[in-house]
Amino acid sequence: MSGLVRSELRKIGSTRLWWGLLLGAVVYTAVQSGVTAGFAGVTLSTAQPATAGLGTAAGIRSVYAEALFTGSYILAMILGITGMTGEYRYQTITATFLASPRRSRVVGAKLVAHLLVGLGYGVLAMVTALVVGGVVIVVRGHGLGYGADRLWPSIVLAVVAVGLWTVLGIGIGTLIRNQVAAVLIGVFVIFLLQPLLTLGLSAAHLDSVAKWLPTNASSALMAPGTAIVDYLSWWAGGLVLLGYALVLAALGIGLSVRRDIS
Amino acid sequence: MTVGERIDVVGLTKMFGALRALDGLTFTIRPGLVTGFLGPNGAGKTTTLRCLLGLLTPTAGSATIGGRAYRDLDDPLGTVGAALESSGFHPGRSARAHLETVALAGGVEPRRCVELLALVGLTEVADRRVGGFSLGMRQRLALAQALLGDPGVLLLDEPANGLDPAGIAWLRELLRGLAAEGRTVLVSSHVLSEVEQTVDEVVVVARGRLVRQGTLAQLGAGPRAVLVRTPQPEALRDALAGQPVEQLPDGRLRVSGSTTEVVGHALFLAGVEVHELVAEAGDLERLFLDLTAEHPATVAS
Repeated sequence: MSGLVRSELRKIGSTRLWWGLLLGAVVYTAVQSGVTAGFAGVTLSTAQPATAGLGTAAGIRSVYAEALFTGSYILAMILGITGMTGEYRYQTITATFLASPRRSRVVGAKLVAHLLVGLGYGVLAMVTALVVGGVVIVVRGHGLGYGADRLWPSIVLAVVAVGLWTVLGIGIGTLIRNQVAAVLIGVFVIFLLQPLLTLGLSAAHLDSVAKWLPTNASSALMAPGTAIVDYLSWWAGGLVLLGYALVLAALGIGLSVRRDIS
Repeated sequence: MTVGERIDVVGLTKMFGALRALDGLTFTIRPGLVTGFLGPNGAGKTTTLRCLLGLLTPTAGSATIGGRAYRDLDDPLGTVGAALESSGFHPGRSARAHLETVALAGGVEPRRCVELLALVGLTEVADRRVGGFSLGMRQRLALAQALLGDPGVLLLDEPANGLDPAGIAWLRELLRGLAAEGRTVLVSSHVLSEVEQTVDEVVVVARGRLVRQGTLAQLGAGPRAVLVRTPQPEALRDALAGQPVEQLPDGRLRVSGSTTEVVGHALFLAGVEVHELVAEAGDLERLFLDLTAEHPATVAS
């Protein structure tokens, strides 16, 4: 099994996609963290209340921990999706299944390898947020705030969430073998359809349903400062996200991986 | 010395929807020989190999290596090496990295990759991305991949495709050497002449069924027609009374169903002047075309 995981890590490391996605995650996080810090506590218009100020723990958490939200998650998910679907797209799946005919093991090794790389993405994106957000905070005349209440648990969980989104991507890619379709459906369902669904459910007073959706479970991991819905507790959020990934991967193994490779 | 295993294909049937790609195909491949797996495009050669390798699930029948299904092998890469036509490479990955991913997954020492890149002559381009490789270079890389685990059984799908004449000669020597070591070597091709000088035995398939199996000699190989150039065509017809003689556009006469010995002897006895006497070349190719033609049962009997 360790050989299979090393093989998967070598696959990720030997093409250029990983650092393109990493660059995207880092840049997105830097912008989000910087902008959040720049406008924290500022009233932009009378219609919109100001966000939590830099003097509050919630404000500090929003600059650091929440900077990974959406951008790093999407790119981590795409890394996972391409890690699976790329094998079908370039027909390397033949060589992979010849070296390891037990196909569910291959999927298991991909889950582990991508979780490790996803955690690496999370760490680097988080360091970016701590540096860029920190600089903006200091420029605005506040303290760095690295000691803010519940900041470090939030940071760790945000990084874990990035890893779990990579695993979720493997699950999606296992179920949908076509790379373009898997990426489009993944991004569309998770990041466009789901927020609409959350708003709809929330408006219909069904927060108890909405909190089980993947992005909301993921948000629960970060202990967010402001919530439009009633989130799960952080550990439940993490388990729900992992559950989605494993259910999709299991469905993929059952429905897709056993299919003929021609 | 590596000892190869037998390949047994028994009643193998594979349906793709309503299409019957394989139809009760049965044959056995022995170790120590190079066996040609012949048939026109679409005959079911690649489908057979993919069933053998557990990539396709047969509709009926079985395909085993040493009596075991590929999925049940303890050390797949060390038992069977395969180079399939449609097996791909990531265009952005280097040749060396590609082999390493396969070696790691299959439990093969990564340093084997360096040895094999040298064996197939890709050392100089080992760190270049495969996207820029020619078809011949990809074939060499696929062959290196097949040999990674030093397997006793080799399944090669159209390995000569894209190789230049020097490459084909090199491949022939390599395959003959591997078979001489006791390995089982199966080479598919849709062109008989490509493997004619390499193979000991042939398995001929058409439309998913076995047409013929045996040595080239058993297949009726060897010349079955003789070409003669003579200034005395009428004397030749008299000397070979009863044998079909055909006038060719180039002026020569074609005597079918005979050998150079028989024709030469008859013409000598009759005192017919002969300027050229040769066995017709390419007869094997014609036989192959006959065997795999639309109604093979009438020809193959």
